[in-house]
Amino acid sequence: MIQHLVDGILVGSFLSLGAIGLTMVMHILRFANFSHAELLSIGAYCALVFDKLFESLSPFLAAKIGPLSMTAALALSILVSMALTGLSAVVIDRLVFRRVREKGGELSMVFASFGMSLVIRNVIGLIFGLSSELYSRDIAFAMVISRDPLLLVKPDQVFVLIAALLIMFALYLVLSRTRFGFALRAIAENPNLAQVHGVNLKRMIVAVWLIGGSLGAIAGVFYGLSYQITPVMGRDLVLPIFAATIVGGIGSVYGAVLGGFIVGVASNLALVILPSGYSPSVPFLMILLVLLIRPNGLFGEARA
Amino acid sequence: MKKLLTLAAFAAGMSGLSVSAHAQDCTTKVGAVLPTSVDWGRPIAEVAQFAVDQVNEAGGAAGCKIEMVLRDTQVDPKVGVDAAKALVDLEGVNVLLGAVSSGVSMPILTSVTAPGGVMQMSCCSSSTAFTKLSEEGKTNGLWFRTFATTAVQSAMGAKVASDKGYKSVAILYKNDDWGQDMARLIAADFAAAGIEVTGSVAINDAQPSYRAEVTEALGGSPDAIYLALYPNEGTSAVREWISLGGTQNMILANSLKSDEFRDNVGLQYLENALGTDTASPRVASADAFKAAYVEKFGSEPNGPGLANSFDAAMIALLAMEAAGANASGADIAAAVAKVTDPDGAPITADVAGVTAAKETLAGGGTVKYQGATGDVRFDANGDVSAPAVIWKFTDSGTDEVEYLSLGEVDAFIASLKK
Amino acid sequence: MIGVVSYLVFFTTVAAILGIAVMGLNLQWGNTGLFNGGVVASFGAGAYATLMLGGPPQDGHVGGFGLVYPLALAGGMLAAGILAWIVGKLTLRLRHDYLAIATFGVAVAFENVMRNATTITGGAQGIRGFERPLRAMLGDGFTYNVVFLVGVLVTLVLVYVFLERLTVSPFGRMLRAIREDETAARSLGKAPDRIRLISFVTGSVIIGLAGGLYGTFYAFVSPQDVLPILTFQIWAMLIVGGAGNTKGALAGAFIIWGAWTFSGWALSRFAPIEAQLYTGSIQFVLIGLVIVGMLLWRPQGLFPERLVVSQPGQNREKTQAEGFT
Repeated sequence: MIQHLVDGILVGSFLSLGAIGLTMVMHILRFANFSHAELLSIGAYCALVFDKLFESLSPFLAAKIGPLSMTAALALSILVSMALTGLSAVVIDRLVFRRVREKGGELSMVFASFGMSLVIRNVIGLIFGLSSELYSRDIAFAMVISRDPLLLVKPDQVFVLIAALLIMFALYLVLSRTRFGFALRAIAENPNLAQVHGVNLKRMIVAVWLIGGSLGAIAGVFYGLSYQITPVMGRDLVLPIFAATIVGGIGSVYGAVLGGFIVGVASNLALVILPSGYSPSVPFLMILLVLLIRPNGLFGEARA
Repeated sequence: MKKLLTLAAFAAGMSGLSVSAHAQDCTTKVGAVLPTSVDWGRPIAEVAQFAVDQVNEAGGAAGCKIEMVLRDTQVDPKVGVDAAKALVDLEGVNVLLGAVSSGVSMPILTSVTAPGGVMQMSCCSSSTAFTKLSEEGKTNGLWFRTFATTAVQSAMGAKVASDKGYKSVAILYKNDDWGQDMARLIAADFAAAGIEVTGSVAINDAQPSYRAEVTEALGGSPDAIYLALYPNEGTSAVREWISLGGTQNMILANSLKSDEFRDNVGLQYLENALGTDTASPRVASADAFKAAYVEKFGSEPNGPGLANSFDAAMIALLAMEAAGANASGADIAAAVAKVTDPDGAPITADVAGVTAAKETLAGGGTVKYQGATGDVRFDANGDVSAPAVIWKFTDSGTDEVEYLSLGEVDAFIASLKK
Repeated sequence: MIGVVSYLVFFTTVAAILGIAVMGLNLQWGNTGLFNGGVVASFGAGAYATLMLGGPPQDGHVGGFGLVYPLALAGGMLAAGILAWIVGKLTLRLRHDYLAIATFGVAVAFENVMRNATTITGGAQGIRGFERPLRAMLGDGFTYNVVFLVGVLVTLVLVYVFLERLTVSPFGRMLRAIREDETAARSLGKAPDRIRLISFVTGSVIIGLAGGLYGTFYAFVSPQDVLPILTFQIWAMLIVGGAGNTKGALAGAFIIWGAWTFSGWALSRFAPIEAQLYTGSIQFVLIGLVIVGMLLWRPQGLFPERLVVSQPGQNREKTQAEGFT
């Protein structure tokens, strides 16, 4: 029981990172972006390429940091991958979403994003093959925190959790303390009014994609570090991330963080109550429950 | 430009030459509907094409060169059925290889191949529903599969557990028709062998994390774990299992006989892992498939369904040869017995074998195909039974630990039933 | 040549069945603005219930009541309707993206139940052994497929006429009024909640009908038929075709299903043999590009909604330029 709870929180950490980006995009651009989780795949595969590159450049970089599976090479690759993934998000917006946005309705955007997710996922599969990849083939053993009740935690997971929390805190500071953060919120609440006051909408959209993309890249790498990297990881992650976003309430960064943890914990605790065959539906039943009580999510605001 | 044209003409001439070297000018198409957009599906298609290449090298079948027209099923029944229908109607195939998932093979059988009189040969569909459908007389004798029934697989799993002296076992199974079947059968077999099942946990497709499932299975502190999974989720679940301190005593279904799985989990953790599979017969020529495969792909044929897919394609093509030119799907299906005749002349699963088979068949004889999965022999419902092998991972692939002939397999299954 | 005709009959049957489902969805989204993310639940309820009611008895799971076909199909529609009524009661007051995910969740739960409740639904193996209606008379071959196609087309036309009548009726106007401005509609004394529920259930019954026909055509249904990809396919058909326009919904069904299957055929025909193994992935890329391309080309859909302005004496129609909101 307690093990399931802890596991859920650990799983929740990368769901939260993915959900933050998604909630910002959904709030500012007002569409459910089904290709968001593909940014995680792009991030994970980018990091994989650069990880291999850096490791071959210098054996020093290939050494593991402490008890973690993380290497200096991978840490560097994350930075490169964040930049590249953010950039690809901007490029995809330029090429596709901006054009659809100008003339089509919200649902046209949703299905353009669905089409994009098919394209991205399968292009990755064509380039890297369909088999799974790993950053490190070594298996990091879990530490025994307690024997009774049995509680096991992997060092990588603790690292991922702490890193995710730090990143979220940094983002919180940016959004609540800087001019940029205010401008972003203004745009989300009333685009026209914000533009009258000199906020550059186009630049803000680019910023949102950059943030969403780079957070997605981190989430993707963290996911790869904990599990494995496959071309279909976006497909596997898109629904939990959506669930996290919706539970938290669209547009609420804090909601997304909490939503990620709720979905993570719910899908882990599910097995305590139901046979494991039913576990995929549990996050959604959870959402249903939350929405019946709070129709706009935990932190979402009603919007016409 | 001119140069290019000459070059193209030259190339065309060359390819024409290579065809005529085998003395045929005609091409017969066979259809294949396999999930090539899925990680484990692509190699299955690759190995089917490999079988076709070998037959072509031996001069094709029924006097013609064979062309395999491959379509992706996307593991979506609608898409698979449409692809099958297009192959039958637009390409005029009489033989269809596939599909992999029972959920795709079944609607193809009921709405395309059985009504259309096309022979369907699946490598990997394991559902017991096919046997029942055939017993009801709804397959018209057109349905075959080279996937040995799950009963042998599960009995061997129970044998491994009792030989190793495991007292308790947890089961992780893929939550599809094959996995549900396996889980049900193996639980019964374990019980019959006096082994406690501490937990049977379904692993659903496409979940981001299997940690909760693994934790659940870990709860019973079993002596060993039985894994009826595919490489992708198998890797994820087993890495999690090991890192959480789960036992390294593992029993693996044949789907995990995969290099990808071995490499991604790590051989050092798989020393106590024993797998089960159907086996090639104990004859020297049985290594032919393996040798040819290694030469072509540079590794051993390890992966779910590879050997089955090879045999499916081979038997289908040999049956086409046996049925002769202009044969209908039903003729070809009827000719399957001629190439899997237990009293026939034994032939190997390579170019030499195909050549020998053609000679024997031309002389009016029958052959016994000794394939990658063994002496394949279909019963009236298109099901196969085969000898079994227990294997373990090595640096380069897998090694045989124990071989059980068909008789020994049956005897063991009977001992469980007591 | 006969092969081409035979294939086209088959293709048209599936496309028409999907087209019926798209029309049902169009009533829900195009006319009422209900973002149903769980299309596949209604579709599956229709398919499963039809086969369970109309099929022969089976070992190991319930069902197999062997009802006459029209009754079984009606049962399928009823099952879809009952499911929709329960879901609608619970969720229809949600804002649309929340509604979408809630209904999506219902569909995932539906698939889960079908997959795991072995004793009721046959589990992952699905339900087989269904005897297609009139098979004894018509056999299994081409004739059967042609007759079945005619049956499907007749059903499609009936649904089309029903929906066209409905959208120009006072009830149809009320649906659009609620979609555009709920408060205004309420002020005129309408009961939006009840009307939305009626629209949702009606749409779901139509989708369930499509599911029933689908299960009949394949004489088989399994959890693999009720995966979320079907919801996406049906939605993509509606959006590419043009929401709010029944013709668009139908055109979308044929275009998207055509792209989905034709891309595979073209690749198997024209891609070089070395690339054949990769055609599965390439096909998905093509499908994605077709959807994206269609939406870049006509973001409001192929046949945008036509605003029906019904005033006495002047029946003007104009195209809504900026699409629906």
